[in-house]
Amino acid sequence: MNLSVSGLSATRSGRTILHPTSLDIAQCEYIALVGASGSGKSTLGHVLIDNLRSRGLRVAHVPQCPEEALDPLRSMRFHWHETERALGFDPGSTDKKTLFTALKIQDGDLQKRPWAWSRGMQQRFVIAMALISAPDLIVLDEPTSALDPIIAAATMDLLGQYRKGHDTAMILITHDLGLAARHASTLIVMHNGRIVEKASTVEVLKHPQTDAAKSLVAHRIWAAMPC
Amino acid sequence: MLKVDRVWVRRGSRFALENISLSLPPGKTLAIVGESGAGKSTLIATILGLLKPRKGDVTWADHSVRACGPALVMQEPRAAFNPALSLRRSVMEPIVARNEVVPHERIRRLSDSLELSLDILDRCPGEISIGQAQRLAILRALMTAPPLVLLDEPLSALDAATQKRTARLISDLQREERFAAMVVTHDLGYAVAHADEIAVIKSGRIEEVFTPQTFAMEPKSAYCRSLRDAAIALGALEEPV
Repeated sequence: MNLSVSGLSATRSGRTILHPTSLDIAQCEYIALVGASGSGKSTLGHVLIDNLRSRGLRVAHVPQCPEEALDPLRSMRFHWHETERALGFDPGSTDKKTLFTALKIQDGDLQKRPWAWSRGMQQRFVIAMALISAPDLIVLDEPTSALDPIIAAATMDLLGQYRKGHDTAMILITHDLGLAARHASTLIVMHNGRIVEKASTVEVLKHPQTDAAKSLVAHRIWAAMPC
Repeated sequence: MLKVDRVWVRRGSRFALENISLSLPPGKTLAIVGESGAGKSTLIATILGLLKPRKGDVTWADHSVRACGPALVMQEPRAAFNPALSLRRSVMEPIVARNEVVPHERIRRLSDSLELSLDILDRCPGEISIGQAQRLAILRALMTAPPLVLLDEPLSALDAATQKRTARLISDLQREERFAAMVVTHDLGYAVAHADEIAVIKSGRIEEVFTPQTFAMEPKSAYCRSLRDAAIALGALEEPV
């Protein structure tokens, strides 16, 4: 399903933090929203999710901080069953085991409350909740920020496979162009609350047009491996 | 020269560091790479003398490390400053604590090198960006011209472009000031780009020590190979052609 939104904007304390923005997302498209801290990436993610959900579309959201998604007073089991119920599944009917094993959280104690799990494990639990059903779109806000590199790489891999297997569109919000370029096919560059560039990943890397994109491209990777 | 000699450190019922030996000559950068819980921060605390090793020694030029006046830069730059004090007061603190004369010339030179304008010092920590805060934390650490600087995940709170810029500034400053830097990180990309030597630690043990150049050849252990593959998959390193 192609998704199309227009006129998204946001203000905070009288200041415009997202100027009117339109966005088209093709089925199964993998978009990365990149920009420096404070450029409006997460804000665009939030208003986009609100807009699509109000139109009855199923959008899964993995917020930047797992605390945003988890109630500190409820057990992890409660969160899982609540998500199943909300999505119309019978409790316990979803394939929890496969997802948990793929995300390497199979040893987490579901009786415990979120704060008894490490931040990285909470993050992966939230990702697992987002993958229970096949949503029309998954929005991932810095999904790897709390994860160690090896687990982060495995998680990105799993998300990529899931997208292909379920024809789900995906938006990856990140400040790291290296990560974005490695996974997404389309890049959207944001600067000061505006989309300043949208093109295929190859195009942006080869011919960045704006200063914001040029700076991101210049700082894309740490180093080429010495050979 | 910093020497960590067969150090064992106990935390609770288990050893957090087991038989760690490392050395770091003046003017060089040693990166300690490992995942959460590997013992990286325990190692920093041990070198600073905040934790006592059960066995083994940590020395700088054959004396205790504390005697050389090492500096520490921590992960969360905003948390490193008292929010109620002006940044100038915070930055002066190491000098005031030692009853030394304020080296205005040095502050000007360091802030130039770190691309900070001097008027930023009259603000409070809440009024500057996180990237500026981390550069100020580095400036404060260098106020007393320490021979050894320990940096605990100095870049992980910064965005990707700011990380690379700050890392370059640290390296440039190090060339001028000739301090030995020990950088704890989980970012292999940073280590390959900026360190002279990389020590990978896992579960409190040293897995492998190598230079960025030898790293391009197959790392010996499976763990280091998977770290390298992860850094490539996360876009931090470019694959060798």
